Amino acid sequence: MNRRTLLALLALAPILPSHAAEVQLVRMWTLLSGGDGARMRALVDEFNASQQAVRVESTTLKWGEPFYTKLITGSVVGAGPDLATIHLSRLPNLAGGGVLRPIAAAELAAVGLAGGDFLPRQWTKSQYQGRTYAVPLDQHPLVLYYNKNLVGKAGLLDERGQLKPIEGMAALTDALRRVKAATGKPGLTMESAQSSYAIWRLWLSLLAQQGLPIVANGRFAYGAAGEATLARIAGWFQAGYATPGMDYPASTSQFMGGNAGFMLNGVWEVPELVRGSKAGTLGFEYGIVPLPKLYGDASAWADSHGFALPANGDKPMSAAKAHAVLSFVAYVSRHSMGWAEGGHIPAYRPVAESAAALALEPNAQYAAAAHNVVYDPDGWYMGAAGPLEAIASKFLPAPLAGQLTPADALRRFETEAARLLKKRAPLY
Amino acid sequence: MKALHRRRETLPAMLLLAPFLAAFLLFFLVPALQTFWLSLTDSSLTRTSAFVGLANYVTLVQDPSFWAALGNTFYFSLLTVIPLTLLGLVMALLVDRFSRAGPWLQGAFFLPFVLPISVMTLIADWMLQPSAGVVNHVLGMQRAWFADVHWAMPMVAIGTIWWTVGFNMLMFLAGLRNIPRELYEAAALDGARGWALFRHITWPQLKPVAWTALVLQLIASLKIFGQTYIMTTGGPYNTTRVTLHYMYETAFTQSDAGYAAAIATAFVIVVVLLSLLQGAIARRLGGAK
Repeated sequence: MNRRTLLALLALAPILPSHAAEVQLVRMWTLLSGGDGARMRALVDEFNASQQAVRVESTTLKWGEPFYTKLITGSVVGAGPDLATIHLSRLPNLAGGGVLRPIAAAELAAVGLAGGDFLPRQWTKSQYQGRTYAVPLDQHPLVLYYNKNLVGKAGLLDERGQLKPIEGMAALTDALRRVKAATGKPGLTMESAQSSYAIWRLWLSLLAQQGLPIVANGRFAYGAAGEATLARIAGWFQAGYATPGMDYPASTSQFMGGNAGFMLNGVWEVPELVRGSKAGTLGFEYGIVPLPKLYGDASAWADSHGFALPANGDKPMSAAKAHAVLSFVAYVSRHSMGWAEGGHIPAYRPVAESAAALALEPNAQYAAAAHNVVYDPDGWYMGAAGPLEAIASKFLPAPLAGQLTPADALRRFETEAARLLKKRAPLY
Repeated sequence: MKALHRRRETLPAMLLLAPFLAAFLLFFLVPALQTFWLSLTDSSLTRTSAFVGLANYVTLVQDPSFWAALGNTFYFSLLTVIPLTLLGLVMALLVDRFSRAGPWLQGAFFLPFVLPISVMTLIADWMLQPSAGVVNHVLGMQRAWFADVHWAMPMVAIGTIWWTVGFNMLMFLAGLRNIPRELYEAAALDGARGWALFRHITWPQLKPVAWTALVLQLIASLKIFGQTYIMTTGGPYNTTRVTLHYMYETAFTQSDAGYAAAIATAFVIVVVLLSLLQGAIARRLGGAK
């Protein structure tokens, strides 16, 4: 090739069809770290290897407020990704604020998905004002883990080695007391240091079990029962059934180290137990049950991951790109069995209701939790790492450590949050 | 002739000033004015919705969270401004006094100042760990210092003093070395020594430096954000949340840029007023020149 032909070819290059131009590049931002992050990376790699037309590039960002701030600002100026993993509890904030682009039923149908493919509760949670803004991936409820060795010594196991049913606040408190008395170790471990989220999730679950709304007509509505519930939880810590002031890693390692009878946490700790169990490093047998019915019903807080398409300001996505993005979403949905091994309950029914998923251990032990999940109530300030949870994480742990009375903690929580409730939802 | 001469000096002066002036306008004055404008609007993180006049300021004066954060900021300043200035002076005197060990001392005192805030907070965090920290080990305790409502802020203050005192020491040292040696020699001939030398020569000569150090330190302490944000995250239950932290949360967690801008503007006014007040006191006491 002489120089002239080369130059001519280079000049023509932009209009020549090339293999590279056909590959749709999908940029995804995720907030999934740890085991979830590894599992999502594996799904991305498998998808990329499975076909030639679409290539997904995934970037993991810091969980929580930094992720959502970046998603919001990135999307508004048109510099956001093509696809993002979000919490469905944040949908009223993100969809309502104009950060996300609605997904049409026809676009989903083109990749073989329909609303009916997903568990109804998660599908509803993916809707905002009658339009679909996310494709649900999973559900991760609060569950009760137990150490069979310790709990057994306290006489809390049946003849099959399973936890005897616990019903009512008094029964759970008594179970914690018995573990402490029989083993000298704390009955319960849960994240309880300042900035902990666990107490908010537990409190929310127990309010739902009593049918109490958190907010009604723009005001806090949980009343005296909400305070009494917080006091009951704080009582476990005051009585020494649980160690106060533990941050997240300290609380999980207390349980993994065999030093607590029960652990209240989300299902995302399941893989660590499975791994430790397989590797023989765990040192005890464990079991998992849904959050017990402690008041009127067995409601348990849960959140869901979902896939959403950022609106990206005035740079709307081409139809071809949208198809590419959704084909990846459809692939992950169909392969969400791998995701279930992360402890999550898949949202895609053909997988969630398959024999393999129903038989998957230890997920099968707490599968019933799916029937009683409650999300954060709708509201722009609600949701994972949202403004209200951030405020709650400052005040609600204080009574557990005995720093504030439950009444004082809730009063301060309300004082700080009052401005949020009055404010109208932000538009981005 | 004189006018011509002046004009000849004006151009180079303008040229030399231009880079700073451009940076000042672009990165300080314009954003500051924009912040003030933002404070008069109802704005989310990214969108300005409506002009609301002084509504944000009306909310602000009735906002207990703002006043609590301002109180925490003042508390931190109270714990740091005077100790940092005094300690800087003492360190400078020590460095100046010991001619052989002086440079070593100077290095040791100044070293923490070069650490990035992340490193400094990590070191402080490790030292103050409840079970494995060296402080609790020495004291034979298990105290979670940063979770303790009485100790959290003092511990942040101690960490900050250790971290930044080197700069004040350098300022005092420069001041000390500017004092003419003849003054000391003349006084020594008159039989003055020790405390008398400090009281009648060193201190009067250092006073302007001391006031400058105090003003700079006051402004630096009021601007605290990083240390509490990283070490205590404002806890326990907001007792160490300072004004800038509240502004940050309002803007980024709550997506309320209009209100955050009002907090920022109000805070600038507070800082300027306090600096002026301190200047006035300094003039009253004859310290500033």
